[in-house]
Amino acid sequence: MKIAFTDIVGMDLAKQALMLLAVDPALGGVVIPSAVGSGKSTLARAFADILPEGTPFVELPLNVTEDRLIGGVDLEATLASGVRVVQHGVLSKANGGVLYVDSLSLLDSSAVSHIMDAMSRGEVLVEREGLSEVHPANFMLVGTYDPTDGEVRMGLLDRIGIIVPFTAQNDFRARKKIVDVVLGKRDLEDTRDELKMLAGFINAAKEQLPQVSITKEQVQALIQTALSLGVEGNRVDIFTVRAALASAALQQRSDVDEEDMKLAIKLVLIPRATRMPEREEAAEDMGPEEAPPPEEEPETGEEEQQPDNSTDADAEEEKEETPDMIEELMMEAIETELPDNIMNISLASKKKSTSGSRGEALNNRRGRFVRAQPGEMRSGKVALIPTLISAAPWQETRKKDKKMAGRPKTALIISKDDVKIKRFRDKSGTLFIFMVDASGSMALNRMRQAKGAVASLLQNAYVHRDQVALISFRGKQAQVLLPPSQSVDRAKRELDVLPTGGGTPLASALYLGWETAKQARTKGVSQIMFVLITDGRGNIGLQSSFDPNAEKPSKEDLEKEVEALSLSVQSDGIASVVIDTQMNYLSRGEAPKLAQKLGGRYLYLPNAKAEQIVDAALSF
Amino acid sequence: MTQTETAAKKTAARKTVAKKAAAAPAPKKAAAPAKKKSGLAFPFTAIVGQEEMKLSLILNIIDPRIGGVLVMGHRGTGKSTTVRALAEVLPFIDRVEDDIYNRTPSQFVEGEDARKGAKAIDPATLKTEKIPVPVVDLPLGATEDRVCGTIDIEQALTSGVKAFEPGLLAQANRGFLYIDEVNLLDDHLVDVLLDVAASGKNVVEREGISIRHPARFVLVGSGNPEEGELRPQLLDRFGLHARIITILDVAKRVDIVKRRREFDEDPDAFMKKYSREQVKLQKKIQTAKELLPEVTMSDEVLTDIARLCMNLGIDGHRGELTITRTAHAHAAFMGQKVVTMKHVREIAGLCLRHRLRKDPLETLDAGEKIERELAKVLGEAEAV
Repeated sequence: MKIAFTDIVGMDLAKQALMLLAVDPALGGVVIPSAVGSGKSTLARAFADILPEGTPFVELPLNVTEDRLIGGVDLEATLASGVRVVQHGVLSKANGGVLYVDSLSLLDSSAVSHIMDAMSRGEVLVEREGLSEVHPANFMLVGTYDPTDGEVRMGLLDRIGIIVPFTAQNDFRARKKIVDVVLGKRDLEDTRDELKMLAGFINAAKEQLPQVSITKEQVQALIQTALSLGVEGNRVDIFTVRAALASAALQQRSDVDEEDMKLAIKLVLIPRATRMPEREEAAEDMGPEEAPPPEEEPETGEEEQQPDNSTDADAEEEKEETPDMIEELMMEAIETELPDNIMNISLASKKKSTSGSRGEALNNRRGRFVRAQPGEMRSGKVALIPTLISAAPWQETRKKDKKMAGRPKTALIISKDDVKIKRFRDKSGTLFIFMVDASGSMALNRMRQAKGAVASLLQNAYVHRDQVALISFRGKQAQVLLPPSQSVDRAKRELDVLPTGGGTPLASALYLGWETAKQARTKGVSQIMFVLITDGRGNIGLQSSFDPNAEKPSKEDLEKEVEALSLSVQSDGIASVVIDTQMNYLSRGEAPKLAQKLGGRYLYLPNAKAEQIVDAALSF
Repeated sequence: MTQTETAAKKTAARKTVAKKAAAAPAPKKAAAPAKKKSGLAFPFTAIVGQEEMKLSLILNIIDPRIGGVLVMGHRGTGKSTTVRALAEVLPFIDRVEDDIYNRTPSQFVEGEDARKGAKAIDPATLKTEKIPVPVVDLPLGATEDRVCGTIDIEQALTSGVKAFEPGLLAQANRGFLYIDEVNLLDDHLVDVLLDVAASGKNVVEREGISIRHPARFVLVGSGNPEEGELRPQLLDRFGLHARIITILDVAKRVDIVKRRREFDEDPDAFMKKYSREQVKLQKKIQTAKELLPEVTMSDEVLTDIARLCMNLGIDGHRGELTITRTAHAHAAFMGQKVVTMKHVREIAGLCLRHRLRKDPLETLDAGEKIERELAKVLGEAEAV
C-alpha cells in the first residue's frame, strides 16, 4: 500500500520544505540528504499527494542515457513511418511537474549538466540526430541522496532552492517503524480527508502568495546572513526571499515575519554555509583546527576581491544599518540550527555508515555508455541502436538507388556514414589522493612543496583525465580540502589558505582517504593512488577524531589502527606512495614502516621539489 | 531553385534563427517563427554589476574580430542571464532574404557561383532584409550532425533530392555562438569548433554530397572554473576572458532581488520600464560600430602595448593584436577617436588574463600581475 504524505511521521523539516516548494515551484526544488533506509524516498514520492491532480511526477533512473534524458529519434516509429519521429526526453516529460532523482549524488556528471541546463532555461534544446526542437521543461527537482555516497555537484545545488539540512533529525529509522504500526490501524478515509485538507491548504497558500510582501530591511538582513555564512553566488538571495514569502503564504499572512525568515535561513542558507558567522564569542568557542582562520574569510576567493576592497567596506556599513533586532535574530537562528562544527557534518554521517560496508565488493565498472557519436567502425564499440536509427529513414531511398541494385532486397542497407560508436564516460584516468601532513612536526616549506606538486599534477589533469583530491591532516582530525576534481583554481585556493600546526591524526587521514576512494569507485574511477606526504608519526587516534572526550590511545593502539586501515586500503587495490620529508637525523623510520603497511612505495625526499613529487607519483 | 535555397526556405519557416530574434524590437519582423517562443529574456541594462562581462560582450559586438569572450566565474552570478540578454541590444545586419547562412549579397553571389552548374547571379536582383545579429545557443548535448549540418531526410524521402540541412554553425554565421558550461563540452565537439573557428568555414560531406559554407562567429563561452579546466587550444581561441564573482555589496544584492522579483511578476511591464535604456544602449553600440573605422592609435601606444606583452612573457602575437583591436573598440564605445593608454589599461586584463604562462607556485592573481606590469610600462613611458 502506498504511504501518503500525511502518514509519514517526523521529517518535519523535509515536509515543510516540500510544502514550500508546492506553494512556490519557482524555488526550483528540494534536496533531502539522509541516511539509507530513513524513508526519504518514500517522502519524496508522497510529495505527489500534495500537488494538484495530474501534475507529472517523473522518476529519473540513474543509468539514463543522453537521448532518453533530452529526447531523440524514436526508432520504432521512425522505422515504421520512414519519417523521423521525435521521442520526448525525461526532462520534458517532467514539464510542469516534478523530476525526482533518488541517489542524486550518484548521478552521472553529464546527466547533471543537462539537468542544470534545463533548469536554467526552463526548456530543453534538442539539437541531435537531425532534430532541432525546443521542448518546455519547467520542473521542480526533488532529489534525495545518502551523503556517504558522495556529494552532489555544487553547480546543481545552486539551482535548487531548498536543501534540507543534514542533521540527526533526518534519521528517521525509528520513526519509520511507528509509521508502519500506525499504518496498520489507519483508516483510509481519514488519510484521504487529511490529504484533501492539506491540498486545500496549499492551494490557499498559492493564492495568498502574490499578496505577501517583504520589507527592504528584511531582504537586507537575509542577504547579510548569506554574506556572513560565506554562501557563494547571488542566485541564492532570490531563493531565500522566495522561501520566506512562501512560508508566510502558508500561514495565510500578508507580511513576512521572523519565523518565515528563520525557516528560509534554515532551508536555503545554512546548508550552503562555508564558514561560521563572524561573531567574536562564537569564534573563540571553535576548536582552532576546525575553525577556518579569519584570513580564509572570503570563500568566494579572496584574491579576486582585492581590486575592490570598497565592496567589503560597503557590506560592513550596510551591516550597521540593518536594524539590530533583525540582525540578532538571524544570528540566533544560525546558532540554534548550525551544528557545533559545520565541517563535521559530512564526517558524522560517514561514521554512521561504516559498519558493515567495509567488506563490500568493489564496483569495477569501466565507465558508462553515455552517448553514440559518428566514428569509424574499428575505432570503438559499435552502438547498434543509434546506427540503426541513423540508417532507418534512408532505407527506401537507398533501395531505389541503382548502385544498390545487386543487393538482396531484404537486407538493411547501412552505409559508412551511419556507423555510430559508443562513447563512454571516460574515467580511465587515475585519481590521486594527496594526504598532506600539516601537523606541527612538519616544517612549513614542505607544505609549499606539496602545494606545488598538487598544482603541477592538476595542470596536466585535463590531458590525462586525471583527478586530484586533497586531504590535510592536523589537530584532531583529517579534512577533505578538495574532493576529487580537475580544477586548478579550486585546489590553489584551498592550498593557499591551508594552516599548519597541531597533532598528527594519521589514522583519520587514511580513513578519509579510503572513504574518498570508495566514493570515487562508485562513480567509475578504477585507478586510485594515495600520495602521503608525512613523517609517518601519527599521534591522534581515530576515536579522538570523532569524540573529543575519548581517552588518549596507547602507542600500540595507534599503530593497530593504522595497520588495520592500511590493510583495507591495500586490499581495495589502492596503490600508494609515502613521501618522507623528514630530516635524516630526526627520522625514526616511521614513514618507511607506513609504506610497508600500505604495500606501497617509499620515497625519501628530504628536500623534495614539486616536480620530484610529481614524478614519483606518476612513475607508477 | 537550388538545394540550399530550398533548405533555407524550409528551415527559416520553421525554426531557430528567428527564435532569439523574436523578442527583439525588429523593425520589420520576418515571418513569425512557428516555433514556440522562449520566455522573455531579462533586459541587459537591468543587470546589476558585473561590468567586466558586460563590457567584453559589448566590445565584441562593436568589433567581432576581437575573437569572442570567455566568461568564467562563480555559480549563480548571472553569467548565462547576461549572455542571453545580449540578443536584445544587438544591432541589425543585412542579409539576403531568407538566407540560412545570413550572407550579404556579395557573399551570397560568391558562394552560389562556386557551386557546380549554378547560373551567375546578379547581386542587384537579390532582395535583402535586416535581421538582428543572430545569437545561437549550442547546448552541451548537441550532436555533431546538428552542429555542422546534415542531409535533410524528409526532403530526400519526399522529393528524392539530397538537400543539405544546415546546422547551428550555419545559423551562427555573422553572429554569436554561445556555449554555456563550455568547459564541460565534449572533446569531439571542441575539435569541430576549433577547426571551424580557425578556417571560418564549415565543410560537411555526407551521403555523397559535399557542402562548404561560411561560418564566422563570435564565440561566447561561460562556465564555472571549479567544474573543470578548459582545453588550452580552446582557451587560446577566446579573445577576451572576463571573470565574474559573487557581488558582496548588500545594497546591490537587494537591488538584484528587487529587479528579479519585479521581472518575474510582470515581465512585460519590466521590459517596458527598461526599453528606453535598452534602445539607448543599442544606439550607442551602433554609433560606436560606425565610429570604429575612424579610430586611430599612435605608435607610442602601440609600443607600450608590445612592451607590456613582452614583459609579461606572452607567447605569440595574439595578445598584442587582441589588445589593439579591443582598445580601438573601447575608444569607439566611449565616443573617442584616439586610443590612449587609459583605454588600454581598462581592457588589458580582459585581453591577457588567460594568456599568461601558468606557474603552479604563483600565488599572485593574473589581474594584479598585469596591472603591475602595466604600471611599470606606463611609468617608463611617462619618464621618457
